[in-house]
Amino acid sequence: MSEEKTAVLLMRESQNKPSDPYKMRELRGLAQAAGYYIRAEVSQRRGRDHRYQIGRGKIEEALSFCPDKLIFYNPLSPGQVYNIRSEFSAAVIDRFNLILEIFATRASSREAKLQVELARLSYDAPQVKSALSMKKRGEQPGFRGSGAYEQSMYHDIRGRMAKIRGQLQEVQSQGEDRRKKRREEGFDLVALAGYTNAGKSTLLNALTGSAVMAKDQPFTTLTPTTRAMPISGRRTLLTDTVGFIDDLPHFLIKAFRSTLSEISEADLVLLVADMSDPLELLRKKLAASHKALWDCEVRAPIVTVLNKCDRLDEAAAEEKAEGIRDLAPCPVMASASTGLGLGVLEESIMQRLEPLQEYEISLPYTSQGLSELSRLYRATELLSVSYEERLIVRLRGREETVARAGLAGGRLL
Amino acid sequence: MGQIGVESIDIIAVDISGRHKVQGRYEMVCAAVSLHVSPVFIEKIYTVRLLPRLADSLDINMIADFISEACLCLPGTIVAEPGDLYNLEIWRVKSILGRDFKYPETIAERGAVEMAHHISVAGRRLIVNE
Repeated sequence: MSEEKTAVLLMRESQNKPSDPYKMRELRGLAQAAGYYIRAEVSQRRGRDHRYQIGRGKIEEALSFCPDKLIFYNPLSPGQVYNIRSEFSAAVIDRFNLILEIFATRASSREAKLQVELARLSYDAPQVKSALSMKKRGEQPGFRGSGAYEQSMYHDIRGRMAKIRGQLQEVQSQGEDRRKKRREEGFDLVALAGYTNAGKSTLLNALTGSAVMAKDQPFTTLTPTTRAMPISGRRTLLTDTVGFIDDLPHFLIKAFRSTLSEISEADLVLLVADMSDPLELLRKKLAASHKALWDCEVRAPIVTVLNKCDRLDEAAAEEKAEGIRDLAPCPVMASASTGLGLGVLEESIMQRLEPLQEYEISLPYTSQGLSELSRLYRATELLSVSYEERLIVRLRGREETVARAGLAGGRLL
Repeated sequence: MGQIGVESIDIIAVDISGRHKVQGRYEMVCAAVSLHVSPVFIEKIYTVRLLPRLADSLDINMIADFISEACLCLPGTIVAEPGDLYNLEIWRVKSILGRDFKYPETIAERGAVEMAHHISVAGRRLIVNE
């Protein structure tokens, strides 16, 4: 591995709470995903140090490995960042900034770039405000300190945030239009959601036969990817989305609202979890995913997919599924890489999707009516067509698809 | 590898409103909603109970007594927001309350606690205004 970017990971754990080894493991995974070579991991059990977050000695110990950066699991206040930078001349970031760094390097679409910038600015705005207020304690420019030149920096950030929000609103409304159009075309929208690195993209590839980028690292997917999923009797679109992670600030979820709306507006959500994780971690990740889904205001039914079940024997898998029974509604055990359980998953999707309704409509015997009939052939399951004074069509399909026939002079019988 | 059935459980969603001083005292209302939930949906609501209380302090023992009294004779696990129990570990809350307790994890549990919150706020408004 290249040693261009090196880091030491630091974590402070509370004395009152039991030690959690998964936190450091997750931080290591994130740092490696951001391209850091980890020189060492330093942790300490103590109360919060107001000056440095962790004990001074631990920071000196971390710096003895000569890393380019210190990466903290715990969130750092602007004052703590300032103290560590000025007293130890060390570059320092916390977990949240590390996630933003990964997002910034991987964001390729305009939407993703705007979301990352909005998240960064949402994080920076209060920090700049507090830095300015600290600065204002000294001598002020202008008559009686009213010439607040630096204040404009904060207002610039707020202005830029408002502008990005406007642009994202546009992206979101484009997404809404797209979803509406897809529903009119008779598609059921299924979204893949779940903790980061659970295997969502691999599952998308396995279910749709496509080849979107899927890697064993967190946050490979940032922009939603939609592919058609052939399921018998239903036209279904499967959308891969950005993964969830525990302990994220609320504003980050808000910044990614337009992406997450793919989940909240779906007809069915597949909640993917990594079954090879230890039971305790699996429960934690599922609870974090439920929290994220709650924040996204998901109202659609949820099918929990326990992915990577090929890594366990059947008895161990059953035991683990039993251990998460209160969190996972109807779990389906599957393996995206081997194809195990994908048939059961497709059946489960079919069962949980809202059943299609039967309609009888009449269309005018005009070129417009005939072209509408051609659309209905494509978008619905046509049961019968009788060519009378008007076209009488009996079909099974989505309400939105049938409603569109009204534009072509169609009437519901 | 097959499918496993949906697990539904009985819970009591609890929320306390009025945890701020009014003329030197706390005028609180505790809402306890007894429900049957699956991981995603609230399946059934059995009972809604509102319990008002005037208190001089907000220590954990007082809060635990208040919650215990509100949940008396209701079946299931008590579910409340971590902030209501001062972010104490679950095992400590369980031992103080003397019955099963958990913080909300699933979507349905979060929905239930939100419902209890709205009920307690509305109940307190009614009681305080009259």
